[in-house]
Amino acid sequence: MQKKLLIIGFLLLAALLLSGCTGSTAWPGLATDGENVYLANGQFVHSFSLKDGSQNWQYPLQASKNLLFYSNPVAAPNGLVIFGSVGVEHTLFAINPTKFPQGQVQSVNGFQRFLCSIGLATCPEYKVEEWVFNGAKDHWVASQLVLNNKVFAPNADGNLYILDLNSGSLIKKIAFSGDSGSANRLWGQPVTDGKHIFLTSLDRSVFAIDAETYEVVWKQNLTGAIPGGAAIGSDGMLYAGSLAKQLERFDPETGKHEPVLNTNGWIWGTPAVDGDNLYFGDVDGYIYSYNTKDGKPNWEKPDKLDDEITATPLVRDNDVLVATKSGNIYSINKADGTFKVWREGDKKGKAYTTPVASGDLVLVAYLETDYILVAVDQNGNKQWTYPLGK
Amino acid sequence: MKNPSNQPQAQQPQLPEGFSTESLKMIGVVAILVLAFMNFQVVIDFMITIMVFIYQIVGQNFGITIILFTILIRLITWPLNAQQMKGAKAMQDMQNDKEWQTIQKKYAKDREKLAQEQMRIYRERGINPFGSCLPTLIQFPILFALIPSITYAIGSYPLSVLKLSTSVLFQDITSLVPLNSKFLGMDLGLPERTLIFGLSIPVLALTVAITTYFQTKLTMPPSTGGANDQAAATNQMMTIYMPVMLYFFSVNYAAGLSVYFVTSNILSIVQYAMMGKVNWRNLLPGGQKSQDQKKK
Repeated sequence: MQKKLLIIGFLLLAALLLSGCTGSTAWPGLATDGENVYLANGQFVHSFSLKDGSQNWQYPLQASKNLLFYSNPVAAPNGLVIFGSVGVEHTLFAINPTKFPQGQVQSVNGFQRFLCSIGLATCPEYKVEEWVFNGAKDHWVASQLVLNNKVFAPNADGNLYILDLNSGSLIKKIAFSGDSGSANRLWGQPVTDGKHIFLTSLDRSVFAIDAETYEVVWKQNLTGAIPGGAAIGSDGMLYAGSLAKQLERFDPETGKHEPVLNTNGWIWGTPAVDGDNLYFGDVDGYIYSYNTKDGKPNWEKPDKLDDEITATPLVRDNDVLVATKSGNIYSINKADGTFKVWREGDKKGKAYTTPVASGDLVLVAYLETDYILVAVDQNGNKQWTYPLGK
Repeated sequence: MKNPSNQPQAQQPQLPEGFSTESLKMIGVVAILVLAFMNFQVVIDFMITIMVFIYQIVGQNFGITIILFTILIRLITWPLNAQQMKGAKAMQDMQNDKEWQTIQKKYAKDREKLAQEQMRIYRERGINPFGSCLPTLIQFPILFALIPSITYAIGSYPLSVLKLSTSVLFQDITSLVPLNSKFLGMDLGLPERTLIFGLSIPVLALTVAITTYFQTKLTMPPSTGGANDQAAATNQMMTIYMPVMLYFFSVNYAAGLSVYFVTSNILSIVQYAMMGKVNWRNLLPGGQKSQDQKKK
């Protein structure tokens, strides 16, 4: 008996030991289409009504250990919602929200699913995918860009997959190799000026492809990894921050580039564009404002907030909201850079995700706390949360 | 040297009654474990720092880094492993001891008396009942920290790259990130699959299972052949459970962890072989049984 207990204890211990690497791998992804909010969090992607936070749907209906979702879902103009998995299965999904069943969805547990798979039971089937794409070899860390009925989907395997928005069929695959022949891990959402599509890679490269012909127009190497995306300023130039602690400016036609602002820490998020100004933070907690017109920082000294900044700042009329790892959301005065805590975190949740705004609401997603999503009004007062009632 | 005066010698500090040096050792180990788990992130940071240091020395190859790091961990824990083996051997010898077997039979229905007699034999023969488990316990913080350390260092996900930035001590790793996770044609950040005749085979995970099987089998102590030799049954179960468990883990998680498991298994066999504890007969079909029969 004691030996059996010993074995069970040992196996439990081993399981605990092995579970050391099964924690969160990324922070929740968040997006809105003006009516609904989409949250990618672990094994599920959820859709909530912006009005009251009621859940419209969740995908998949049953959790799968092979699927994990963290990148910001993309609401396409044709009504599809697109998101990819960072789990063992590297699948890109295009969900048709109108195909979800109305009312209570019947839950099917793992054992029932097994019985169904061997024909001993019948499980309800909901086919909500408009299409799926299984051609990638690595994680879908980046969100996709939808342009002219095409989906531009960068993958960590170093390929940009160009798919038909309606059918999901592969139009073209463009491989972005590094100088040593290794793949460029594409982690940032592509951005377009209408003529080009720009991509950034964790392997320190920035690419431009022609939006019509899909030919690579230029490739430039930086000295630091670029985990976030790039932004197009009002001057038409491309701006990207890197782990080399520099904001870099690129000529969109030639790719010629130069550093325009040095930072204290790694730049993780994509800069936010507001007229002639760019706002971005660094991992050391500093927030910067850069004027693209005169090529100078707007504030004499960058503000230091209380923790890491990985999120893109959210630009509002008079201020900029910045989420920090501590869970606090700061309001930065655009005019002079002074700041105050706009919404205090609960000391547990970490705010790595870029907040989004829609109508009168600001939505903030948290990692490792009781509620994953909170909708607050323009003054920072809580309106609803997910899970509800917390 | 004799005491020159007639003054009494300074009295040695006495442990409270029922309090042995073993109890003190146990408290010491528990204290170390508690401190390590309270500052678990520090242990992880320290390990990642060492790995990044090795990574730079070996020309930015993370596969070789994992192998060298595993060797380093094995060397550090060598004395503990050796002590564990020694303790296990002493306990097993006691199972074979005639006097102990007689006592077991005699006090089969009096558990209290049996425990007293057991403690007496431990005392008389200088056996530490925790001799095999204390060294293992001390290694737990290392083992627990090892897997997250490798996972963060590989940096396949945003959070792991971000954690890497704050985990490496004493140096700026900007120019190193992302670490090169390619090794022998594999991406150490992804589960490994090799196309063989059009089939996607998890070769590395199978290697993990095979080396785990060999490691468990070869390091299994010889059966005592006793009627109540439950240890042999336990070990037999381990030779099945461990490879299966590690196979399923390796199939689903980063190949870098599988490289660690394979290296660790091979090093374990090497260590046992160097200490003359490897039972090669266990690999032969019916090898364990034939040893039992010889004893009988």
